[in-house]
Amino acid sequence: MRVLLLTGKGGVGKTSLAAATALAGAEHGHRVFLLSTDAAHSLGDAFGRPIGPSPLEVAPGVVAQEVGVLDELDRAWSEIQGWLRELLREETAEVVAEELLVFPGMEELVSLRAVREVEATGEFDLCVVDCAPTGDTLRMLRFPDALRLFMENFWEMKRQGVRALRPIVNRIIPGKLIPEEEFFDAFERLYREVEDVRQILMDADRTSARLVVNPARVVVEETRRSFAYLSLYGVATDAVLVNRVLPANAAGGYFARWAERQSEEMHEIETSFPVPILQAPLQPNEVIGPAALRDLGRGVYDERDPATVFTRARPIRLAQRSGRRVLEIDLPGASKEELRVGVHGEHLMVRVRDAERLVTLPASLAGRPVKSARLEGGVLEIVFGP
Amino acid sequence: MRLVLYTGKGGVGKTTTAAATAVCAARRGLRTLVASTDSAHSLGDVLEESLGAEPREIATNLHAVEIDARAEVERHWGRIRDYLVSLFRFQGIEDIVAEELALLPGAEEITTLLGAEGWQQSGDYDLVVLDCAPTGATLRMVTLPDVAHSALRILLRLQGALAAVVTPVARHVVPLPLPDRHVFGDADRLLYKQLRRLRRRLLDPQTSVRLVVTPERMVIDETRRAWTELSLFELGCDAVVMNRLLPDAALSEAFFADWGRLQGERLHEVEEFFAPLPVLSAPLQDDEVTGLARLAAHGEQLFGALAPNALLSAPQRVEFERRAGAYVVRIPLPEADSTALDVAKVDDELVIRAGPLRRTLALPRRMAALDLLDARLDAGWLCVRLGQPDAAEALR
Repeated sequence: MRVLLLTGKGGVGKTSLAAATALAGAEHGHRVFLLSTDAAHSLGDAFGRPIGPSPLEVAPGVVAQEVGVLDELDRAWSEIQGWLRELLREETAEVVAEELLVFPGMEELVSLRAVREVEATGEFDLCVVDCAPTGDTLRMLRFPDALRLFMENFWEMKRQGVRALRPIVNRIIPGKLIPEEEFFDAFERLYREVEDVRQILMDADRTSARLVVNPARVVVEETRRSFAYLSLYGVATDAVLVNRVLPANAAGGYFARWAERQSEEMHEIETSFPVPILQAPLQPNEVIGPAALRDLGRGVYDERDPATVFTRARPIRLAQRSGRRVLEIDLPGASKEELRVGVHGEHLMVRVRDAERLVTLPASLAGRPVKSARLEGGVLEIVFGP
Repeated sequence: MRLVLYTGKGGVGKTTTAAATAVCAARRGLRTLVASTDSAHSLGDVLEESLGAEPREIATNLHAVEIDARAEVERHWGRIRDYLVSLFRFQGIEDIVAEELALLPGAEEITTLLGAEGWQQSGDYDLVVLDCAPTGATLRMVTLPDVAHSALRILLRLQGALAAVVTPVARHVVPLPLPDRHVFGDADRLLYKQLRRLRRRLLDPQTSVRLVVTPERMVIDETRRAWTELSLFELGCDAVVMNRLLPDAALSEAFFADWGRLQGERLHEVEEFFAPLPVLSAPLQDDEVTGLARLAAHGEQLFGALAPNALLSAPQRVEFERRAGAYVVRIPLPEADSTALDVAKVDDELVIRAGPLRRTLALPRRMAALDLLDARLDAGWLCVRLGQPDAAEALR
């Protein structure tokens, strides 16, 4: 099953493009599952009908679902939740406590499970995920890592310790401070499920991220950072989708200045993302309902099959080599003489002849001195100091 | 001192609206500070000023600041983060990933709010305008004092209970890095003092939230749900800003004819959905609204005769509580008449008709799947009970 993660800054039109991608996939004969993992679901809004947590056929060949975090938690981990609820009860009003049970990270976990469940049915060959805005999505992607290390190193010890301690602590502090055995079983189940999903997401042949942007500066800046982060967490981005491009017949008159700004930003997008760039024109009407969404999909993919892996390249890679942080950037055809590299705050600027590329550095690299930079075999390797 | 927070779905123009409000207020003689909680700062771009980590006067009465979230996080969370990094490293995680993992969700936003809280207390300003992250993130930010407070108290209690027994044992079995008392001290200071103070500020009657929307269905739908959730967490809204209405000059472009036809409808919906909140509107300008002059003009169009720092409506909010297995939603309807009351639940919303008055309310997730049990008016409040479907059956 092919998995497409659509993400980007808030308000750029991720949901519309996820729905349009799903419909275009169905037109190419794929059996498509369209999944919303954004806690602020808008899939129903895009189709102009309620969708909700049960899978629902929204168009021929497209089944949609909005993952309901609270319901899923109830169903899957009632043990874990029961314990938390017990603990939280004294702290806060009950209604608020229930909303709070959606701890940071919980949403991501439930969402991850959903991808696995779609795969397990064996009934779909394309799963399009309408993700939360970039920040949250990136947390979703790193959650398996965090959970893995927790489980592998910490968990067994805690569990043994807790088992031995329960009788003592229960005597000292009344209440359910120490979780029951079922809690641990549920947690282990959860871990195994998340590990499955990790395998799916890290496999570049199956999973691609598609970044949605608008031709606007603030959007492009933030998305550049996401691009680097996705590389860092090992998820391949195979295309950037530029949404709401003013078409030629809308670019004059009152909108003349907006059109000028747009062409500047299109240039910026091309220099920032070394992957295929697809454009979706601004539609003449609100994009709501299957017909309008299908038009949008045709505008983006034209005759292409959206399930295609548009590129297998990983043009930016971050690694750790003999204790040093190394950033590798593919620059095929560049020669040393025409290359300039500079770091400005959190941006790395690479200049080859007249072409410039900006890479926004992850927080852990920004502000570190560049120790060395060298070009070999079309790969620029930048080593950062401590 | 007034605190106004602007929020809304991404891309609707929150930063521009916040900046225009501040410039307008300053020109009308209020000592104003504008700040952004968004780590991808665009406030400086909008004001066309390079901003620093300390408030700087950029015009008469007007200060602006872009908080250096990374430095601030270092200051407030540094030791906690260092401990986490050492823990992750110990687990054999690569350095880069360990550092990224240790960036606590929400830390930057909380830090920004803490900074803003400090300047509010200085007494230097009549009005502080905050440009907040998009709806989802803002909600989390606002709940974080609660979440973090509860979660950490639990952890501390758990730690306290276990420390006496487990830690000495664990230290011998595994040389695991354990947090020292400074880490707990920092956590304690953050939670018990700063976050609580922040929460008090957010719930103060002089604080209000303004929701920014554009005339688009999906934006409006999401913002309605955000409004409900703000109520759930006890934050009061005093106005809605309808941004980017196409002016006549734009509507004469053939391509936008359909958009123009729709926007009247959308404006009407916003007035109805968000009643009793007043709706202020601002046009889509013919270029990006940047620089003090354009922002001032934009602000004048937005506020007209209204004062930018006024409480634009009496803060009324919906209340939620859980009583005897059912949920009770209490909605202020001071002008409603009980003889002509009709309440229905349609999908995930409540539709209320009381004579000529019509209100709709998007329900919190937890309540969306429940059935309507009953509704009654009580001293200007509409009380709606929601419960499990089988409970509704039993009642019949």
